[in-house]
Amino acid sequence: MNASILTPTLALIRDTFREAFARRIFWGFFGCSSALLVFLLLVTKIDVRVGGLPSASDIGGAASPEAVYSVLQTQSIIAMVLYYAGTALAVFASAGLVSAMFEPGRIELLLSKPLSRTHLLLGRYLGNVLVVVANILYLIVGSWIIFGLKTGVWGAGFLLSSVFIILNFSVLLAVIVLVGVLWDSSAVAIMVTFALMIITPILAQVASMDQVLGSETSRTIVRVLYQVLPKTSDLGSMVRSTILHQPIESWMPVWTTALFGAVVLALGVRRFSQRTF
Amino acid sequence: MSASAAFSEYAIETEGLTKVFRNRWSGTELRAVDDVSLRVPRGSTYGLLGPNGAGKTTFVKVLLSCAHPTAGSAKVFGRDTREAEARRPIGYLPENHRFPTYMTGWSMLDFYGALSGMDSAARQRRIPELLAQVGLDERAHHQRLGKYSKGMLQRVGLAQALMHAPQLLVLDEPSDGVDPVGRKQIRDVLTALEEKGVTIFINSHLLQEVELFCHDVAIIQRGRLALSGSVKELTNGSGYSVEALGVADNLRTELAGRARSSSGFDSGSDKNVRLTFETREQANEAVDLLRAHHCEIESFARTRSTLEEVFIKTVEASKVPGVQQERVEQGRVQQ
Repeated sequence: MNASILTPTLALIRDTFREAFARRIFWGFFGCSSALLVFLLLVTKIDVRVGGLPSASDIGGAASPEAVYSVLQTQSIIAMVLYYAGTALAVFASAGLVSAMFEPGRIELLLSKPLSRTHLLLGRYLGNVLVVVANILYLIVGSWIIFGLKTGVWGAGFLLSSVFIILNFSVLLAVIVLVGVLWDSSAVAIMVTFALMIITPILAQVASMDQVLGSETSRTIVRVLYQVLPKTSDLGSMVRSTILHQPIESWMPVWTTALFGAVVLALGVRRFSQRTF
Repeated sequence: MSASAAFSEYAIETEGLTKVFRNRWSGTELRAVDDVSLRVPRGSTYGLLGPNGAGKTTFVKVLLSCAHPTAGSAKVFGRDTREAEARRPIGYLPENHRFPTYMTGWSMLDFYGALSGMDSAARQRRIPELLAQVGLDERAHHQRLGKYSKGMLQRVGLAQALMHAPQLLVLDEPSDGVDPVGRKQIRDVLTALEEKGVTIFINSHLLQEVELFCHDVAIIQRGRLALSGSVKELTNGSGYSVEALGVADNLRTELAGRARSSSGFDSGSDKNVRLTFETREQANEAVDLLRAHHCEIESFARTRSTLEEVFIKTVEASKVPGVQQERVEQGRVQQ
């Protein structure tokens, strides 16, 4: 990459990390993740000798399918907690990081530098994603190693599930960016994003809702909203399926969610480029 | 800098620059900058003056592309300010800056230097040099900005603006919150930059400071350019003053009738008089008359105004419809 692009981009990423450290956001995540890892390491009875869970591998012997499944089930619970609770926490923490950039007295100085506004906003966005990715990977890789050492199950599904978690957060962060650019408010950004996180699992029950909804118009609206909005619930199911080695029936939730994120981010960039500060 | 920028005669050039803010709910409009055409020559020291709410900050924001013009154009070294590259030669110190408090003086310069495209080695060389230049001691280098005083923040802000060796320095109230010694230090830094050919554009309320440092000024009032010209020209009065000693009361009365103004000076004697006349001829006639009455002439000089007087007259005049345009055309205010 051209140095004139790379140097400022790295500076923006580094600055986001520095701010996340200073606001204790990074350390908050890190502390929670570390606590969970310590819990897995010391408290849970998943190793062969203690025998709380059915052992995944007998020493020198082969793991029974039931034992492996139990380990994968535990991993999927951790991943689901991380997917929902971790994402909610990350959204809560990131909203402030995005809107801080638009503070009067700070934004003017950033805009006075020889960078396009697109570059500036995407650099900040990328930095914010990486702050959360670093913590997600720390927890996922850490617990994967602990599970592996204790049970001998080294399935890659748990590691791969982090891709869905990161995708989900990245899309929600795009929403935070758009709302932040529009209204300069981290509170509104959190509200809108949480509303999406609540609404989209309801919309995911599109088949059952068909029977409840009275008119064809309302059914069409629900179907369109389901297609357009991010599919948080479906991605959550994919996290579970990936860990449990179950087949993924459709990749549609992934690409439509990614498309939603890209469109929302593009709208955020467009609005940011037009705004007067 | 690009070829067009390199050959541009002006550091800043605006043509009919207009910025209108519209309230989409009430439908009202505010013309913050109204048809401003201004040329700031390369290498000059230029002061932008105006009362609060006159449109100075909006003008500066358009230069930095924080605000996009509604009409007209703004160029920096020949490049449209909407191009990112147009901002490469600019160093900017905002007025109400909010530097991230989690940064240290060092890391702040490193960050903004990187945003200006400087590589790591160049930044590491430049940072200690600049921090010393603005008078921040080594202890402050790695201290968080949250612990800096207002004056220290202003100094580190100036260092930030100078980080990438800009060709145009845009300073919003550069000595705000700085003590007199610090002000002198900042002025010395700016003088050294001026000698190197850096264009310095200052937006300030401190008229004395602008008068002391800037060679040229522009006054903006209600978004419009009310006056522009060199400080020397603008403060040069159109009258002549005569100071005389031992003037008798009847003579004083007679001269006061011819003069634009008359007052006493030197409280030691009530016979000492300062008279101001419109023309040199009137002043010479007064001198002849004073000498004929054996009065001593203490001084004979062309009158000068302070920039503050020029500023106040311009602002007052521009409140009267029809007068503003005349002032602009004249390029000066009658003293």
